Amino acid sequence: MTASAGLKSPGLDLTSIPERIQSEVQRAIQRSIKGVEYIASSGPSLGSTPKDVLLSRGTLNLYHYRPMADEIYRVPILIVMATTNRGYILDLVPGQSFVEFLLKRGYDVYMMDWTAPKPEEKSLRMEDYVLDFIPDCIRRVQQDSGEQDVSVIGYCFGGVLSLLYGSIHNDGPMKNLICFTTPIDFREMKLFSNFSDRRYFDVDRLVDSVGNVPGDMIMTSFDMLRPASRAFSQVQLWDNIWNDEYVKGYRMMDRWGSDTLPLAGEYFRAITKDLMWDNKLYNDTMTVGGRAANIAEIKVPILHAVAEHDHIVPYDAAKHLITKVGSSDKEEVMLKGGHVSLVAGANAIKRLWPKLDNWLGKRST
Amino acid sequence: MADKGNDPAVIWQTMIGEMEKGFNSFASQAMASPEFSKVMNQVGGVTAGAQKQLGELMEKYLVSMNLPSRAQMVGMAERIQAIEGQLNEIKAMLQQVHHNSLTPESGRGMPRPPRTRQPPSADGEKK
Repeated sequence: MTASAGLKSPGLDLTSIPERIQSEVQRAIQRSIKGVEYIASSGPSLGSTPKDVLLSRGTLNLYHYRPMADEIYRVPILIVMATTNRGYILDLVPGQSFVEFLLKRGYDVYMMDWTAPKPEEKSLRMEDYVLDFIPDCIRRVQQDSGEQDVSVIGYCFGGVLSLLYGSIHNDGPMKNLICFTTPIDFREMKLFSNFSDRRYFDVDRLVDSVGNVPGDMIMTSFDMLRPASRAFSQVQLWDNIWNDEYVKGYRMMDRWGSDTLPLAGEYFRAITKDLMWDNKLYNDTMTVGGRAANIAEIKVPILHAVAEHDHIVPYDAAKHLITKVGSSDKEEVMLKGGHVSLVAGANAIKRLWPKLDNWLGKRST
Repeated sequence: MADKGNDPAVIWQTMIGEMEKGFNSFASQAMASPEFSKVMNQVGGVTAGAQKQLGELMEKYLVSMNLPSRAQMVGMAERIQAIEGQLNEIKAMLQQVHHNSLTPESGRGMPRPPRTRQPPSADGEKK
């Protein structure tokens, strides 16, 4: 029997204990140093891919990102960001930016991004978003690019808006539609559905009281889906504060998660009544500004990317999209990840983005 | 090297992960009940109503004190922001015009890449 074998107990190598202690002491020192650095410094600069603002209309901004390839695809892309969140989630930092990835792969990229609606914008309705903002941006993309066809990418509720737009404007100019984590059956968003139970949630009283629904309230409702996660993420941050990459990732996501936007009052009222209460999109009874918006009318090629561990839009809420659209060229892809990490996490670089490039490239000529 | 099953750091991280899942699961079950919705919305409704009434009261008080209300201050801040935004746009446009006059092939006036890109072929080569 050797000395080292003598120090072994089942499953534990006692000779490694000094090494472990040294490592833990070093990490404890690093935690203290990095903890001070964390408090004293600001986070990484987000959304810095060079762009031009083509349009600024109250809550709406339309960006054009400057091309990064010598040769680009004929069909430009318009990204429709979710109205509750800032678009920089898709343009975090160089090397972890969906927008930068698209530019380097030769796409011409535009984005509809949102700012907090002003008090006087409380009367913005669903039809303002679907029948005015999106068509206006499509027109400007056409003018700026000189192309008639436009591919649309909608993220989360941006996907819902894109579907509504596509079902009403089904004769063009949308050439391809890509939806990320887009809900269709709002009954299956169980907790949101319960929070907005029509027997107890007086949406009229809320909107009439506050005008625009505050961002804090929206953020709280998202946090309530996983109420312990914010507190535990602080524990994990302290545990990993010696790790620069972890801290960088944490700061990016934490800043974005805390940067939730208010929603225009009338728009929120319509979402609650038409989608949460009456589930009109799923029931094929949705109308926008008096015009029927049935997604069966969408005939363009469509890709829907969903996340395996999405706690905001569970798969049951999203799975009917592909079966209900009228397109013959349609595909759903389920990838590992959560609602945000699917599109912006470190693993999106090797999962979703190449898949999207492979699908969209051949449909963009 | 220590077995991962006995590594205190791994045990700690696993425990934290499991506790988080447990709390979230428990809370989700509790929040899925109609009773929770009823209480949450009653509290939320009362809070929103109280906030509105308090806001109106404060506004009257501030008017009587000849002081601006928060809404007025926010409105002024927004107008200043809008003016700043417009100034920045004008500044950017002026810089663009100046830059373009020096180097005609720059900025948004720069010739854009040709829209002739083809997707890579199946073997990964660009066509």
